[in-house]
Amino acid sequence: MPNLEIPILETQKLSVSFDNQEILKDVSFSVNEGDVLAIIGPNGAGKTVFFRALLGLIPFDGGIKWREDARIGYVPQKLFEKAELPLTVKEFFVLKSKNLFFKDNQLLETITHELKAVGLKPEILGQRLANLSRGQFQKILIAWAILKHPNVLLFDEPTAGVDVAGEENIYNLLHKLQDERGMTVLIISHDLNIVYRYADKVLCLNKENLCFGEPKKALTSEQIEKLYGESAFHQHHDHG
Amino acid sequence: MAKALFINITIMDSQFLIIFISGIFAALSASFLGAFIVVKRMALVGDVLSHVALPGIGLALLFGINPIFGAAVFLVAAAFGTWLIEKRTMLPPDAIIGAFFTATLALGVLLVPNHELFESMFGNLFAVDYYDAVIIIVASIIIFLLTLILSRRLTLSIAAPDLAKSIGAKPDMAYLCFLLLFALSIAMGIKLIGSVLMGALTILPATSARNIAWSLKSFLSFSVVLGILMTSIGLVIANIFNFPPGPAVILSGIVFFFVSLFFKKS
Repeated sequence: MPNLEIPILETQKLSVSFDNQEILKDVSFSVNEGDVLAIIGPNGAGKTVFFRALLGLIPFDGGIKWREDARIGYVPQKLFEKAELPLTVKEFFVLKSKNLFFKDNQLLETITHELKAVGLKPEILGQRLANLSRGQFQKILIAWAILKHPNVLLFDEPTAGVDVAGEENIYNLLHKLQDERGMTVLIISHDLNIVYRYADKVLCLNKENLCFGEPKKALTSEQIEKLYGESAFHQHHDHG
Repeated sequence: MAKALFINITIMDSQFLIIFISGIFAALSASFLGAFIVVKRMALVGDVLSHVALPGIGLALLFGINPIFGAAVFLVAAAFGTWLIEKRTMLPPDAIIGAFFTATLALGVLLVPNHELFESMFGNLFAVDYYDAVIIIVASIIIFLLTLILSRRLTLSIAAPDLAKSIGAKPDMAYLCFLLLFALSIAMGIKLIGSVLMGALTILPATSARNIAWSLKSFLSFSVVLGILMTSIGLVIANIFNFPPGPAVILSGIVFFFVSLFFKKS
């Protein structure tokens, strides 16, 4: 049973600046265990920076409080320099091992299980990471993140490169993970439809926290307009 | 030719044998670490870092200390400086390092006495005595083993520092350890290969290996095997024809590189 008394994550006046330029300002919100929280906002709104702060990858001001039992899996938008390293999929998974050098049988056994969970066949293990399609690679990153069973998943959605069918697939997959494993999912999304369909809560970011709450209540047309600007709002509606 | 080589090897004196073995061990650790330098896109840094050894050698000669130690101190300091500059400034290290490391080469040329200059820059087979060989072999084995133990963390820190941090690893520390090990491995080959060309010994095997590798394991293995091969062939050629060992080793390495192009994987 999820523990709903204490939120699994809570931030208070979270601010991040680089070179005296404020990227995030006073962002406060909380997430309960098992929730799907969508983070939306225009390009350059600081969404990825927000994740990186939550992960403790960059310095920040204010408070970030993860509950003690939170174990975080992170799916970045992209991996840097992956083409430089001739890594196979299997080798990429093994890098997650706590064993510095020796063979990690326990880890090897769970890899196939997690591959199945994201809808990939074990044959992919022998393939080069650089040769995968964008969609396959995304799934590999998810499988990597859920290896060793974290209870929170931070998912930074790729802006481009995954086709619509592939996207649909990934959302179903995230939904399944949340359902079956009771995972808390924080997702940076660019698609408002997805937010309405899958998210329990939404956080609108544009440097500041502009709205927070249930999507149907928090995402009024005024809010969306304020967030993306008027033209972007119409664009979103055309697609919807 | 092969027969002549064979005869030469069989009758070579014990001094060359010691030099040859220490060269192989220096190549072992240098080419292994060089593989990480290449995938981190720091080939230029790796190449030029070895220049920093020259003023260290000069000062060591001045004070009558073993030049290997002088080189090691300067290289480790430069590696630490590289790490700090990158961490503090967020600047791409290439420009600063290109300028700074080359300046140390200039300083080194002034510091090293004239009659020692050529061999400090391009290596000298017989500058390696029995005592040096022991240092080189033992240190290279330790450097190689430490890198092997660190290799998973290193790879993850290089490929995806954010993922590394997200699982509680410290990519910053892994990177620092790596640079220090790299600097030490350069110091081990400096007497034999020389300060100008030792950097090339670290990156040449890896660039060739990168062409033919299909996985991380094959990449690291090829890098080490090619590093040992080019060093052994280069040293034997240097011994037979009385060449300075640095150029002989690097030129035999470039032959492997051209051969690797024919096996290039897409």
